[in-house]
Parts: sequence; C-alpha cells; structure tokens
Amino acid sequence: MSDTPNYKEAFDELQQIVSEIEEGQISVDELSEKVKRAALLITICKKKLASTEEDVNRILKDLDAPEE
Amino acid sequence: MPEIQHERKIYSLLEVTQSIQRTLAERYGSVFWVKAEMNKLNHYPRSGHCYPDLVEKKDGKVIAQLRATLWKDDYNRINHSFLRVIKAPLKEGIAMLCCARVMFDPVHGLSLRIMDIDPVFSLGELEREKQETIDKLKAAGIFDSNRALALPLLPQRVAIISVETSKGYADFLKVIDHNPVGYRFFHFLFPSLLQGERAVDSILYQLKRITKVIFHFDVVAIVRGGGGEVGLSCFNNYQLAREIAEFPIPVITGIGHATNETVVEMIAHKNGITPTDLANFLVDRFDEFAIPVLQAQETLVDKVTHIVKNEGQQVRSMARYFKSVTGNLVLKSRHAIHDFSRAVIHQCRFQIHREKALQNALAFDLRKLTMSFCNQCRLEVDKSIITVTKDLATIVKDRMGEIETIERNVNNMSPAFVLKRGYSITMLNGKVVTSSAGLKSGDLLKTILSDGGIESEVTAIKKPGEI
Repeated sequence: MSDTPNYKEAFDELQQIVSEIEEGQISVDELSEKVKRAALLITICKKKLASTEEDVNRILKDLDAPEE
Repeated sequence: MPEIQHERKIYSLLEVTQSIQRTLAERYGSVFWVKAEMNKLNHYPRSGHCYPDLVEKKDGKVIAQLRATLWKDDYNRINHSFLRVIKAPLKEGIAMLCCARVMFDPVHGLSLRIMDIDPVFSLGELEREKQETIDKLKAAGIFDSNRALALPLLPQRVAIISVETSKGYADFLKVIDHNPVGYRFFHFLFPSLLQGERAVDSILYQLKRITKVIFHFDVVAIVRGGGGEVGLSCFNNYQLAREIAEFPIPVITGIGHATNETVVEMIAHKNGITPTDLANFLVDRFDEFAIPVLQAQETLVDKVTHIVKNEGQQVRSMARYFKSVTGNLVLKSRHAIHDFSRAVIHQCRFQIHREKALQNALAFDLRKLTMSFCNQCRLEVDKSIITVTKDLATIVKDRMGEIETIERNVNNMSPAFVLKRGYSITMLNGKVVTSSAGLKSGDLLKTILSDGGIESEVTAIKKPGEI
C-alpha cells in the first residue's frame, strides 16, 4: 500500500489495524508503529472529509472541449 | 351556382367548400366525444389559442390525423381543470378524451373544435404511460440498473441538475455546504427545466453534458422544489427514465412533491422526499464513513490504553512475584547457611572435642610409656651400677697385680741394678759410647761402674771376632 492511500484504502487499513488490536494480534513491540500508522490514516480520512480537490475551471474547460 | 360550359358543370372553390361545409354541418351537427392523441398542442401565447394536431397511432404508425382548434377561453378552463385534477397542464403526446364537433371552414379547412377535455381520462392515460415506461424499462432489463451501481464511499462530488433560483436548489446547498460537521462537498450546477413538456429534453441535454465530464463526479442529483406539484409527468417519460437508468454513475433525486412517485424517482439510486432530505442522505453517507473513523480512533485509544495498562500491571505483578520469590529464596538460603554453619560449628566442636580426647589419651599414653621407659632405664642403670661396682674391685686388683709386675720389671732394668750385675757404661767426652767406630787410640774414656768409675785410654780397636 502506498504512503498516501486514497480514503477507501486508508479506511480499510484503519479498520484492519483496529480489528488486529481488538483481537489482540499485536504485540506491545509493534503497538507503537501501528498506532502511528493509524493516527496517519485517521488524519488522511479526516482531511478527505473536510476537503475536495475538484476545480470548477477544469470542468468548464472539459465541457467546452469538442466532442470526440 | 355552377356555370355550364361545354356541357360541363363547373363549381367555384367557394361553392365546393361551402357545399362541404353545409354537408358536414348537417351530418356532424352534434357534439361528440372523441378519443385521440395530442401530437402537438401548438399553443400561440400571443392569441392564447391552440391548434392541436390530433393523431391516432397503431403499432407506432399514424393511421388517422386531424387538426383541431382550442380557443383561448376553452384552453384556459381545460388547463385549469387539468392542473386541479392531474397536477399537470395539458400536454402533448398523451391520449385524451375530447368533447368536440367537426368544423369546416372554406379557408382553414377541416378541423375538430375542442370544447372540453376530460382530465380523468388523461389521468388514467398518464398512469398508463407511466406503467408503460416501467414495463419497457423492466423488459429492457434496466429498471434496477442505476440502483445496482455502487455509490462511492464518499459521494463528495455532486453534479446538480436544478434551477439556479429554485427553493429546492437553495435547500439542497444549505445542507451540504453548511453541514455542522464541516464535511466538504464539491458541486456544480447543470441548469435545467424540471417541469412541463420541455423538461425532458432539457434534462437529457444536461445529462449529456455531464457525461462529457463524468470523471469529475461521484453522483448526479436532480433537485427540484418550490415549483408546485404540477408538470411532473415528464419524470415518467421513457426516454428520460432510460437515460437515467443507464447513466454510468448513480443518479439521486429530490423532486419534492406529495403525489405518486414518478418513474425517474423509482429507478433513481436514491430518492429523497425533498431536496433537504436528499442532501441529508449525502451527509449521512459522510457520517457513515466519519463515525467509524471516530469510533476507530476511540477504540484505538481505549484498546491501546488498556493494553499498556495491562502490560504495566503484568510487569508490576511479575516484579512483585520476582521480589517475593527471590526474597523467599534468600531467606531460605540464609536459613540453610545458618543451619549449615551451626552444623559446621557443631561438627567442629565435636571434632575438636574428639581430637582433644584423642590427644589426652595419647599424652596419657606417652607419659605412661615415658615413665615406663624411664623406670626401665633407671632399673638398668641401677643394675649397671651394681655390676660396675662389683667388677671394679676385681679389675682394680687385677690391674694392681699387673702394675706390680711392670714395677718389678722396671726396677730390674734400672742402670744401677744393671751395673750391679756387671754391666758398665763407657762415655767419651760426656757421651755414651755405643759403637767402636769413631774411636781412636789415645781417646780418654770414662767408665761408670755400680760403685764408682775408672778412666782409661784407648790402646787398640778390635773388630768383632778379634776379642
């Protein structure tokens, strides 16, 4: 999985980490890394909820483009 | 009257048309009900009159066609009645039951003058049209197509088909742009008519535009509201419904009315009762994603805290156990060492005691043996003394005898005794003469005898045998 997953990947990976922790599959040694990763994924998810990258000008430009 | 020329009867056009007019007026004098499809309404807004094209079709082909007239007053009355009964104005493309009479005008020709239209019949027709659209969609296997599409996890980019100034559009934006959680939506308006006959083409046009930029959007929302409840039968149109059913991304509707659901609403991926309701559906989808994220966050915090606390407890518990075990072990070892040292001391004391006893015994034996030895020695000394004492007298007596013998021999050998027995001593110049050698005649010799001496002169020297 890439360093900047999309929200679906981030969400799925987050759920995966949570279930691993819930089921006690994670040792104390790994815990720190997993929690760091989960915090990053939560940030990505929250950022996605609060922002969008669409640009009106691009849509207008595409609308004006000649038919193929 | 017709002219007669070369035995031919010739009528003027007016005469013909007037004749037709008369004939038709006699034959079709009464008013009757006629069932027909309004192909075109041909409403002229300036005059207010309509000149509808009526047709009858069979298997999609026109088998009868007649022009009609609908005067302004009749049109307004009928339209009002339609709006009241079927929530839609008089529209094209629908079968209707008209109260009409046949008219013929020499200039305008044949037409039906419509005096009334039964809205109840058209209502049934609208329902039939709607059902037909449903049946056709189902037959084509696309009735559920749009609903079968997966709505993205976050339907964030919305193409809105609406009227910019409508209340429905404003309501919709109010919810998605000002949601309390702060979710961010992207939306783009594709303005369109949403009621009446021209709505179908207008919406189809905008759907075509959206198709051009479809990769920018997650969902299409058709939003209408505030325009009353008329003119919604466009949403039962087959062509529009098919386009929406087969649209490549989910189409959601918030058309806002209280009457029967239209076909487009039925096949839409999601139908909200109002634009607000539809907008809330989108926000809810965000919640569905956001709440698990928050729950995941809370679960993580809970679980991790629990794990850390639990591990801490285990470590502390282990440390206590370790302390207790080692304490016990130390105590046990200390006792063992104590016991052992006592045993060693005891053993040493016992050993020392035993050695001392042994030593005492040995010392006693040594003393006893020494004394015994000394006694024996003393006895032997005593015995020797006795022996010595006893033998000494004998030895002394023997020695005395030996000494006396020696004394006598010594006495016998003394010069005086020897001289007495006849021996003399010759001396020359004070020295005893023991050999004849060295003597010469004339030497004066002294001869010692037992009772004096004589002096003599050497006259001859003789060798042994010569004497």
